[in-house]
Amino acid sequence: MLSRIAESIYWMSRFLERTDNTARLLDINLNHLLEANDAGAEELQWAPLLHIVAGNEVYQRIFPDGTVTGARMIRYMVQEKGNSGSIYAALKGARENARVARDRISKEMWEALNEFWLQVDGHVTHRLSPERESAFFKHVRAEVARFHGLTVSTMLRGDAFSFYLLGTFLERADMTARILDVKYHRLLPDLDLVGSPLDYYQWGALLKSLSGFEAYRRHYHGGIRPLDVVDLVVFSRHFPRSLHFAVDRMTQAIQEIGTSQTDCAVCRTLERLSALLAAREAEEVVREGLHEFLTEFLDQLSTLHASLQNEYFEAHLGMEQCAT
Amino acid sequence: MLAGYPMPETNRAMPYHEFYLDDFQPRDHYRPLWEHIRRAGQNLLAEKARDAHLALHTEGVTFTVYDDSDEGIERVWPFDLLPRIIPAREWDLLEAGLRQRIRALNLFLKDLYHGQRIIKDGVIPAELIYKGKDFQRQVLDVDPPHDIYTHISGVDLIRDLEGRYLVLEDNLRTPSGVSYMIENRIIERRILPEFFARYRVRRVEHYPDLLLKALRHLSPRGADAAEVVVLTPGIYNSAYFEHTFLAKEMGVELAEGRDLVVRNNVVHLKTTRGLKRVDVVYRRVDDEFLDPLCFRADSVLGVAGIMNAWRAGNVALVNAPGSGIADDKAVYAYVPEIIRYYLGETPILANVPTYQMTDPHDRDLVLSQLEGMVVKAVAESGGYGMLMGPASTPEQRRDFTRRIQENPRNYIAQPVVPLSRHVCYLDGELESRHLDLRPFIIYGEDIDVVPGGLTRVAMTKGSLVVNSSQGGGSKDTWVLAD
Repeated sequence: MLSRIAESIYWMSRFLERTDNTARLLDINLNHLLEANDAGAEELQWAPLLHIVAGNEVYQRIFPDGTVTGARMIRYMVQEKGNSGSIYAALKGARENARVARDRISKEMWEALNEFWLQVDGHVTHRLSPERESAFFKHVRAEVARFHGLTVSTMLRGDAFSFYLLGTFLERADMTARILDVKYHRLLPDLDLVGSPLDYYQWGALLKSLSGFEAYRRHYHGGIRPLDVVDLVVFSRHFPRSLHFAVDRMTQAIQEIGTSQTDCAVCRTLERLSALLAAREAEEVVREGLHEFLTEFLDQLSTLHASLQNEYFEAHLGMEQCAT
Repeated sequence: MLAGYPMPETNRAMPYHEFYLDDFQPRDHYRPLWEHIRRAGQNLLAEKARDAHLALHTEGVTFTVYDDSDEGIERVWPFDLLPRIIPAREWDLLEAGLRQRIRALNLFLKDLYHGQRIIKDGVIPAELIYKGKDFQRQVLDVDPPHDIYTHISGVDLIRDLEGRYLVLEDNLRTPSGVSYMIENRIIERRILPEFFARYRVRRVEHYPDLLLKALRHLSPRGADAAEVVVLTPGIYNSAYFEHTFLAKEMGVELAEGRDLVVRNNVVHLKTTRGLKRVDVVYRRVDDEFLDPLCFRADSVLGVAGIMNAWRAGNVALVNAPGSGIADDKAVYAYVPEIIRYYLGETPILANVPTYQMTDPHDRDLVLSQLEGMVVKAVAESGGYGMLMGPASTPEQRRDFTRRIQENPRNYIAQPVVPLSRHVCYLDGELESRHLDLRPFIIYGEDIDVVPGGLTRVAMTKGSLVVNSSQGGGSKDTWVLAD
């Protein structure tokens, strides 16, 4: 398929996944604040979100005094046009890319995304009032889910669909790893309090933000334990938001697309990612340092993105031979 | 050349009304529709108008209006509920007239780029051709496949006071609007199926199929092996919606200039698997941006080397480069002569009287009566670069007087023809508005005129400007089977 269109589909799904992830993060953070009575200072609750989305620099530019408040974070992550990860900007990016690839996605997909964008574009002109925040995030998640449902049920299987999967799972793996990294760091001092109510709420919030709370409960019976959470979120091959699940889907997608390269860097990177996950267990990884592990994982994801760029989106460079 | 043509006096007569015979009675072919509307009542129409707008909004049927920002403004396609109906006999005449015109214009283009018999015979002045912005020397002696230059045309027609159809513009470069013709039909049928029950309306939705067939017919490797692409300037182009629409309906790639590359005089598509040969390019990029090596060197919309590939016969370009000279507004005045010259036939469709600003007598006449004139820059389209006399300010008229005197070859003038009117459903009322008609003609193995077209409506009361870029709307256009 056309390289530029493949790239647009890839970015369409990455941006859409980002929209969804941002809504999840905000919603869970809000809910957690409501429930936890020992939630701590407002700044402590919201600052980690900035780390997760790697947004410190842009945030500083918009709020020069640097103070992090809930209201500011909501504005920054929902409406701020200068923040490419805000719901507004990410959805705009998804829709612009869908518009470019409009002849390769189904009419249903386009209409769902366009309608979604029109609603959010309308919202952004007035401030989101606190009582409507949660409903709005729920709506965003429902719209993204609708889009994925329509994609699965109406999109022609082929290269375009595979690039959609690559975009979705690369972004999802990236975000899941970041959430875990930041939350784990923040929760680390509380390791003595394993099994405490605080632990329940903190790790519970993380699981909920990944739609994994119920799955966790069904699978692990020892209460909410950090090790088990890592096991589910990193290593499970059956949980749709885990790192391992994402790597499996991306590997399949690349196998479907095939490669015209004699030496396929994309394939090699995916093999390295699989190897990183296959031979380990949660306990070992946590003992050796979850942060180091996740950093390595995120680095490999960046390499994967760069290789996709080289080998698919700019495949024509340096190729004299005509494909048929 | 038109000295002595009577100037219209304002208010001498009412413009032709397509719908009403007089203020209360509809024409025969509108009677079933009229009765239906009267019975259905206002509430139903209001509801249907809302449905239609919502549907167009959700489906993203939009066009882009250029403004000061880089991106332009995306607007929902404006659509009026009430269809325009063309009786079969009227259409037969139009169709014959359009075929005749397109046949003659293609012979004219072939002649201009090979030998120029028409200039040597003194039918058209050499200066008019050579000074035309769209006469491309790079096209001289090139033989496009099957001698076809204008594979796709969208001729603008208006009706004079008596209801006679006149050709306003030929639009032979990259005419747009065909997707809206089809979208209008889809919406109309969905929102108002009951209207259709009373008429036998001819279909228009097979247009992309006709187009694909005509494009494949041009492939240098034969129709069976044809790799066809639509070349778009990109998402900020006003007709981007249409480019996507056509690519999707035909099942071909929608490419931008940067997706194509020329190697050894062969055009290729950059794909995820490397390069792939292209045979036919339906380009929606103007000549001057098509190839930076051949035309504007600063163009980033085009493909370097594509003109050489075309000249070598390795790729078909649609419409052929250089076609624009045949719809240069100064050449337009000669089309009746062109028809007589190449076909030996009497023109079936008349032109709007046109004054050449290069003719001193015509020029003085026009400048003395600018208020009653439409002045157009000869190589512009889309309603840009024109002066509507009756709606102009004294400054604008002074500005155009200066521009005409400085560069007379660049302008023509036409007396204001009061476009015919039709009823539109606007804010709960039936109101009369001016409109025109753009049918689409495909020149493939044969010349096909799709029975229908894009009816554009000037939504502002009294306005004669129907271009969507200037706030125009549209109607579904029905050609009756009998």
